[in-house]
Amino acid sequence: MKIFYIDTSSNYLITGIVENNKLIGSVVEKLGENLSRDAVPLVAKMFDKAEVNPKDIDKIIVVDGPGSFTGIRIGITIAKVYAYAFNINITSISSLEAMKESFNDASYFVPIIDARRGYVYSAIYDKDGKEYLPKQYIKLSLLKDNLKKIKDYLIITNDDIDIEGIKVKYKPDILKIVEKYKNRKNINPHSVNPNYLKLTEAEEKLMDNK
Amino acid sequence: MKDIYVLGIESSCDETSFSIVKNGREEIATVISSQIDIHKDFGGVVPEIASRNHVKNVTMVLDECLEKANMTMDDIDLIAVTYGPGLIGSLLIGMEAAKTLSWLYNKPLIPVHHIAGHIYANSLVKELEFPLLAIVVSGGHTELVLMKDHYKFKKLGGTLDDAIGECFDKVSRVIGLEYPGGPKIDKLSKKGSPTYKLPMPLKDDSYNFSFSGLKSAVINLVHNEEQRGREINKADLAASFEKVAVESIVRKAKKAIKEEGVKHVIVAGGVAANTGLREAVTKMGEELNVEVIFPPMKYCTDNGAMIAAAGYYAYKDGRVADLYLNSKSNDKLA
Repeated sequence: MKIFYIDTSSNYLITGIVENNKLIGSVVEKLGENLSRDAVPLVAKMFDKAEVNPKDIDKIIVVDGPGSFTGIRIGITIAKVYAYAFNINITSISSLEAMKESFNDASYFVPIIDARRGYVYSAIYDKDGKEYLPKQYIKLSLLKDNLKKIKDYLIITNDDIDIEGIKVKYKPDILKIVEKYKNRKNINPHSVNPNYLKLTEAEEKLMDNK
Repeated sequence: MKDIYVLGIESSCDETSFSIVKNGREEIATVISSQIDIHKDFGGVVPEIASRNHVKNVTMVLDECLEKANMTMDDIDLIAVTYGPGLIGSLLIGMEAAKTLSWLYNKPLIPVHHIAGHIYANSLVKELEFPLLAIVVSGGHTELVLMKDHYKFKKLGGTLDDAIGECFDKVSRVIGLEYPGGPKIDKLSKKGSPTYKLPMPLKDDSYNFSFSGLKSAVINLVHNEEQRGREINKADLAASFEKVAVESIVRKAKKAIKEEGVKHVIVAGGVAANTGLREAVTKMGEELNVEVIFPPMKYCTDNGAMIAAAGYYAYKDGRVADLYLNSKSNDKLA
């Protein structure tokens, strides 16, 4: 079984091909502004190097957010067009799940992505991977209140977040992520969409005025 | 010669569109998913909302297009995509889709400038003849483009400030009409007469346009009348505004036709749907004895067919990109 994984929810391209519990190709590269330019060719090169025909992929796992809105859309577009074109099974996971899954040895895992203006995207997972606090767009101060109730938690973040506790930088363990989520239920490619966890500012304003 | 089928992808603003065109001339199938009702609540296109809808629609529109054409991706020879200009977040969805398809099916990827697309919408109606003058009028553009051959564009002049479509939208807001303002003003102007005096912009020898002064003149006129406690005749104001805006375009187009020996005039872009402009340009064609073509109304809004048509000629001109192609929010046609 061959699985293609892609995450463009940050300013990194994180992608890999897993075959029979082995990572046979991967790219983890900070692309920033060049993500839209480089994502497809780098994925194509990865397939060439691993000598895998894109048609032979059995499943696609795509990260649907939260994170950079534009970034998320790039990976989702690539993944859903790919799944649609070759009729390949596809499922999505959150960037917070991917972050959590890349680490061990704590009672709780707290992936955090900066959402600016005092807000973050976060969730709290226990050691079995269960959601103690569901993924959400949350005020940092409120997340801190939630952390007061638990002990032995690991904060996973690449952002400069003003928060107490043991912090680690997110280094994706693609193999572990794929093995964990490879059996997640398939979604119709047309229904694979970003999960921003946040309305657009225009929509928020419109709601406020109603 | 073997027929060439081009898949055209357009997502530069608030329309997600896929189309298949044969040999740059014959439309096989087009599907357009418009977001116009979604943006109505906001009085204009909200870029982030547009991008969110593009990504939601992208595969469904492609699927519907292939189904309508009764074709598969294997029948497609080239993939043409709008690379710019436009809203960057929106452009990127079409771009990533195009690049993914180009990679998966190993088909040439053709970058198409959005305005080249609007010009080539006319190629779906009639074979283009050169020298050709394209009057490009839309929400983002007001340009006179001279073409001496296929895919050879020379910009004679353009707007120095607002685009004509933008000006229509702003004026419609001042008069209190709903978004999108262009069609609303056009409709209302039919019920009035051009009784309000508005200044003709940029009466000079250049091929350039200016619409910000005209816009300000309308705003000032409305304010002055309000202060005097007089009610504006909206229909008359719409008619007066449209007349001046259209005349300012026609004046410069006439000059270009005479000086460049133009054979064919085409009107391209969303404002090509404006009936006042259609009438004035038609009259100009009769006066100067040049053929004028307008795109049918269905090609005035953004669509994949025009991108596919332009893509065919771009390919003939050797414009093939690799997978590193990127979208550009701003880029000159010529």
